[in-house]
Order: sequence, then structure tokens, then C-alpha cells
Amino acid sequence: MNSAANSRMIEIVHVNRTFQRADGQMVKAVDNVSVVIKEGEFVCLVGPSGCGKTTLLQMVAGLLEPSDGGIAVAGREISGPGRERGMVFQKDSVFPWMRVIDNVEYGLKCRGVPAAQRREIARTYLERVGLGHVEKAWPRELSGGMLKRVAIATVFANGSRVLLLDEPFGALDYVTRHQLQSVLLDLWDEGGAAARRTVLFVTHDVDEALSLADRILVFHSGHLVDDLAVTAERPRSTDSLLLPDMVAIKHKLLAHLGLEKRAKPLAIVQDGAAS
Amino acid sequence: MTLVAPDVLTRPSPSLLSRARILLAILDPLRLAGVVLFVLVWQVLTLGLPAIILPTPRGVVERLVADFWSAPALSYYGVEEANLYGNLIYTAENVAIAVVIGSVIGILAGLLSARFGIIRAIIDPVMMTAGTVPILVAAPFLLIWFGVGRASAVCLVIFYVIVILYLFAQRAATNLDPVYEESARTLGATPAGIVRDILIPATVPEILGGLRIALAGAWGLEAIAELLGSQSGVGKVLEVLAGATDPQGIMATLLMLGLAAIVVDAVAAFAVARTAKWSAASR
Amino acid sequence: MITSHVHRDRWISVAVFLTLAAIWQVLSMVYTAEAQPGEPMIAGWQVLFTNTFLAMSDYWQGGFGVPAVADGAARSYPAAFLAVASHSIDTIGRLAIGLAVGGAAGLLFGLAVSWSRWTRRLFDWPLQFLRTLPLLAMVPLFQLWFGTYFLGEVLFVAYGIGVIVFAGTVNAVRNVPQIYIDNARSLGASRWTLCRTIVLPAIFPAMRSTILLSLGAGWSAVLGAEYLGAQSGLGYIIVYAQQFAYLDRMFFIALLFIVYTSISYWAIGRLSARWLAWAPPSQRR
Repeated sequence: MNSAANSRMIEIVHVNRTFQRADGQMVKAVDNVSVVIKEGEFVCLVGPSGCGKTTLLQMVAGLLEPSDGGIAVAGREISGPGRERGMVFQKDSVFPWMRVIDNVEYGLKCRGVPAAQRREIARTYLERVGLGHVEKAWPRELSGGMLKRVAIATVFANGSRVLLLDEPFGALDYVTRHQLQSVLLDLWDEGGAAARRTVLFVTHDVDEALSLADRILVFHSGHLVDDLAVTAERPRSTDSLLLPDMVAIKHKLLAHLGLEKRAKPLAIVQDGAAS
Repeated sequence: MTLVAPDVLTRPSPSLLSRARILLAILDPLRLAGVVLFVLVWQVLTLGLPAIILPTPRGVVERLVADFWSAPALSYYGVEEANLYGNLIYTAENVAIAVVIGSVIGILAGLLSARFGIIRAIIDPVMMTAGTVPILVAAPFLLIWFGVGRASAVCLVIFYVIVILYLFAQRAATNLDPVYEESARTLGATPAGIVRDILIPATVPEILGGLRIALAGAWGLEAIAELLGSQSGVGKVLEVLAGATDPQGIMATLLMLGLAAIVVDAVAAFAVARTAKWSAASR
Repeated sequence: MITSHVHRDRWISVAVFLTLAAIWQVLSMVYTAEAQPGEPMIAGWQVLFTNTFLAMSDYWQGGFGVPAVADGAARSYPAAFLAVASHSIDTIGRLAIGLAVGGAAGLLFGLAVSWSRWTRRLFDWPLQFLRTLPLLAMVPLFQLWFGTYFLGEVLFVAYGIGVIVFAGTVNAVRNVPQIYIDNARSLGASRWTLCRTIVLPAIFPAMRSTILLSLGAGWSAVLGAEYLGAQSGLGYIIVYAQQFAYLDRMFFIALLFIVYTSISYWAIGRLSARWLAWAPPSQRR
């Protein structure tokens, strides 16, 4: 399938990021994190608020620069944002001054794809997220869930090999959240296992991580504290979450989040990427 | 000056609103460098232009300092007060009188119009028209009716202030979420109590923001009213200096007027911040 | 409910204007004092649209086969019409050119200064100072620099508008939500594309109020400049008539001025509302 070199899709090597707080004190948001993510992996980043997971995602996106260390995508060190890494934001990022279809086309337009061709691609993905009927609408006419669908269609249409999602469904209601999870998984899985894109998905929601991820990275105070494989079969159902393995992972995650008494002491995992 | 349809009244820039920010801004070396750069560019320009077109920054400042307490040439041209200080006081007095009278009328009319639909329907068309047409158009009429002097200039500025504060007060009261008044009523507040405890405090930040905008325009309007016909005031000084082709004097006078406007605006901004600590507008 | 209120309010505003017109007419009949023989202090509508309008012939310089009153011709409706039209064109032309020049310069300069936080801070104080300088007080300076002819007035109007548009642009760019910029960058937009497709449309709702504000400043500036030394334009007619206490002529021109400014606001409002079709109603009003 993939060559050995290619399979190391995202390499994060000894990355640090410090911020200066308003009172002048320096805070380490991301503290010496190293991890390798394989091509086609669906990775969820989990941890309490302020643990550094969003900061790490923004550094992979190229919107923030690491204070120290390096990040490589597909073997090349990144500098700034690039179209091979698509980002879905927590807040609504759909441009309100462009019609829905123009939003989906935007990335292609930036690359100079001819109008007819990019319209076709955009239509395809709008259909796939179930919004074929509103391509001419203004974003203000859409609900929060529909706007998220537009954002997802936009990054898929742009052909990014890596998708970065920052708590994309955090502000949605329960039903919409589940609908969008399956929209995302369907698009991710559209070409079969070999064509899967690499996904970094930041979430607060333990059940969301369990039903989406191949692998869950747990963060705490800027450290990577656990790295858990989720091996349950896809597609996953409500019952999948009740499998003994899954329940065990859930217990671990809840312990890391401080929601369970039986917590083991936190340990910093040294991942293979450090080698 | 003129104002605008009510939806476009911009919030005053919050940059001067809090004391901490003012301090931070004063200490910001980049902002100071900007001022130095501005003066330098001006200085460089004077090298290429004759002094009769563009005087040097140093010359303007020295002229301002010299003329501030005593400028005998002004009395020669027929200005009552032979110094800049006295004329600035005259202009500032007129602005103050006009702003006080105009804001009392404007705020009352604005608040009433927001709570009584019929009053609004009657006053709104007049105020909207007055808000779009430059008030300046009334200046020559006032000069004929009230003659050359304080009254016509003050009247002009009063009209302007009324219109702005009417629109600001009305918008502030209209935009106030009814939930506060409803909540106060369920807690047993009387109508007078609602006006005193809810309506006035809740609208004060926005109204004071309007007052700052009114103040900013009032200086220019007062000055041009004096230019058109007066025996004193900054505008009169500008008129005689323009007649004498004295750009250095004009720029010194404008500098003084600008500094006065900035100081008054800073005081008003400070007042806004003090009275509206709870409000997001006082960021 | 709401529509019927709007409907009622519209009728009330028509009634208000009609009442004001009627009060004016009554006043003209009650108070018949004359500033000069044949020049009533309060001119009724029948006088305004006949004698007063005819008197506008005095301001016609001659041409198009219609001779000037100054050259001995009698007052005539064609001359009056040509006088009003030519002075209106002068005034509106000054405003339009000033609006175009000042608006474009203010916008471009504002975008350039907004390039980075450093440039913004560098220009902050000089900008604040220029904005606080009372515009109308600066007429004499501009006339000294550029004369009382077309150039001086146009540059004055352009300056007044430019400062407001410049400040408005810098402020609007600062308030563009970061998320749109981040999103566009992660989709591969270059800096120039970012400016054209994200920053420009995103600042437009905020710029709408700036445009209307600068339109008002522009009208004031034109009027101010024409009061103080221009040799043509509606403001020139007003102060010229004022020197002879021709109140009816002043009133006629002031009415014309009200009509022009109202039309200009209405037009700009309609135009910007069309460009803002995408914005939620709260930003469109």
C-alpha cells in the first residue's frame, strides 16, 4: 500500500510553544511533544481545557509557529499554512459574503482551478454533505449544523491530504453532532481504506473520540500523557462503545480527565517519534 | 458639520477609554516614533516649499507659544481679544453653552421618542432630515436673524448637538433589551423607579458616546460660524490671519484648536469610562 | 402589526412635512415684512416658485444663447434654470470628485497602514490628531494653499473625506474576525488574495457607516468651502444673497440643498444595501 516513508504523514518532533500572559509571565502551552501520525490515521486529541491540544493543532495548521522543535508533513518541514492541510474551526468560519457554493470553491479558486471544473468539484462535495439544494444561499440563511457541513465540504473539495478539526462539533446539539460525525466518517472513508486522509481531531467529548478515532492522544498541561489505540471495527455503532476494550479505554480517558477515582498517576509517554 | 442616518453613528474609538490603556499608549515607543516621523516629514517638506506656503513645525510651535498670551497684531486687524488664549476661551464657552443646552433638549426628546411611538413618528422625519443635511446650511439665516455675534454661532451648534444626541439617546433606549425593564417590573419597581434605575443608567454610556461625537463636530462648526461673522473667537482669528496671508499663524491657531479638542475629548472619554464601568462600551 | 405601524409612520411623516409647508405659508401671509422692497422676509410658496426662481437668473453668467442679466438681459425662466443647474453642477462636481479622490486615497492608505500591527501603531497618533482637528476650521488654510478656485475646494473636500475613510478603514480592518483570515490562509490564499477576497468584503459592513459619515462631512466641506470664497456653487449663492438679505433666495437654495443631500443619502444607502445582501439584517439596516 503506502511506502514506509509516506506512511509517516505527520511528524511532530520535540515541539514547544510558550505564550506570554498579560501579566508578563511565560506559560508553556505545549511542552516537548513528539509524535508520529501515519497516513490515513484518524487521530483524536483529548484533554481538559487549556491542555495544549488546540495550540498543537494550530501549529500543525501553520497558523502558529512552534517556539522550539519542528513539524513535518509528508516528509517536508512546514512553514505557514498550506493547502495540503485543511482546517475546520470550532467557530463558524464560512465566509458570510460568499454564497455557499463560492465558499466551497474558495480553496480551488486560490489555486487557479478553472471555473467550470471547480464548480463541478464543489457541487459534488456539497451533494455529499447533503447541501446540494442550498448552493446559492447566503451563509446567514443556514443553521449552525449546515454551516459546519459547508466547512467540511470546503476542506474536502480543496483536496487536502491532512484534515485538522478543532472541536468542530462542540457547539452543536446532540442529534446534529451525531449526524455530522457520520457525514465526516463517510467522506473520510469514501475511497476505501487506502485513500483515507489523515485526520487530527480535537475534542472534549470522550464518546466522540471513541466512535471516530483509530488512535487517541491524551494531553495534560502541555504534555502528551497517553497514546491509546482504538481497534474496534468500523463502522461503529452504539454497541461498539460497549465492547470490553472500548470500556477499558473510556475508563482510562475519564481517569486522565480527572473524572474517575481509580486514576493511575499521570505518566509522560515517550513516543517513537522522539527516536 | 453634519450627521447621518441613525444607524451609522459610530461608537467612539475605545482606545482612549480606560486609564490603563492611555498609560500604555503614552509609553508605547512606536506611537511616539510615529509622531516624530510625522514632524520629520513636515520638516523635510518645508525644505522644498517656501515659508509662505508651509512654515516649519518649530516656527508654528514658537508662534503658538508667543501668541498665546499676547498677539498685538490681532487687535490691529480688529479682533477684540489680542491673544489666542482669550479667543480660545470665547470659542470654548460657546461650545460649552451649546453642548449643554443642545444635549438636554436632544436627550429628553430622544428618550421620549423611544418610549412613545406617536412622538417618534412626529419628530423623526424632521430629525432625520436635519441629520442628513449639513446644519451649516442654516448659518447665513442665523446671521440675518440674530446678527453677527455669539447668539447665531451658539444657535448653530445647538441645532447640531440636538440632532446627534436625539439620535443617540433614541437608539440607546430602543436597543435596550426589554428584559431589564420587565424584570424590574416583576421585582416591584415603579415607573419612576424604572426610569431612574434602568432607563437612564443603561443608556448613559451610549449617550455619552454621542456626546463625544457631538463635541468633536461642535468645535469645527463653532469655528466656521465665527469665520462667517464674529468679532472674537478662534474662527475670527483664522479669518484675519487668512486675510493677512499668514500660514504660520493659521497653523499655530489650528494646532491650538486641535490640542484643545483632544484635551476635551480625553476628559469626556474619562467621564464615559467612569460612569459606565459595567458596560462593554467602556472597554 | 409592524407593517401597519410602518405604514402609519410614513403617513405621519408626510403629514409633518405638509404641516411645516402650510405653517410656512401661513407665516408668509401673516408676517409680510420685507427685507428690501419686493423681497419678503418670509416668502410664500407662490413667490418662491415664481419671483424667487426668476431671480436666480441673476446668477447666470451667459451662454447657450441665453444672455446674462448682468449684460442687460431681462430675467427669464431659461436663464434661471441654467443658473440653478450650473451652480448645482459645480457643487455636486466638487463633492463627487472629492468623494472619489478622498475615498480612494483614504481606503488605499488605510489598507496599507493596516498591513501589520507595527505600521498601525506607528500611524496611530498622527492619525488621531488629524481626525481631531476641526475640519471646517481648516478652510482658510486650504484656500491659502490651493486658492479659492476648483482645485482648492476639491482638495479640501477630498481631505475631509480621506481622513474619515482612512480612520474608518484602519478600524474596520482591525475588527475583521481572525477566523476568516485563518481559514482563508489554511485554504491556500496568498496575501493579495486575502486582501481582495477576505479583508475587503469583511470590512464592508463597517465601511458603510464610514461612507455615510464621510458623505455628510463631504457636504459640509463643500458648503463650508463655498461660503468662504468660492466663486460659484450653491453655497456661494447663499452667502452672496445673504449680503443683500435676500432671504427668499437663500431659502430657495437651502431647499434645493436639502433635496440633493437627501437624494445622495438615499442613493448611497440603496447601493450599499445591495452590496450587503449577504450580511445579516442587523448589519444591513
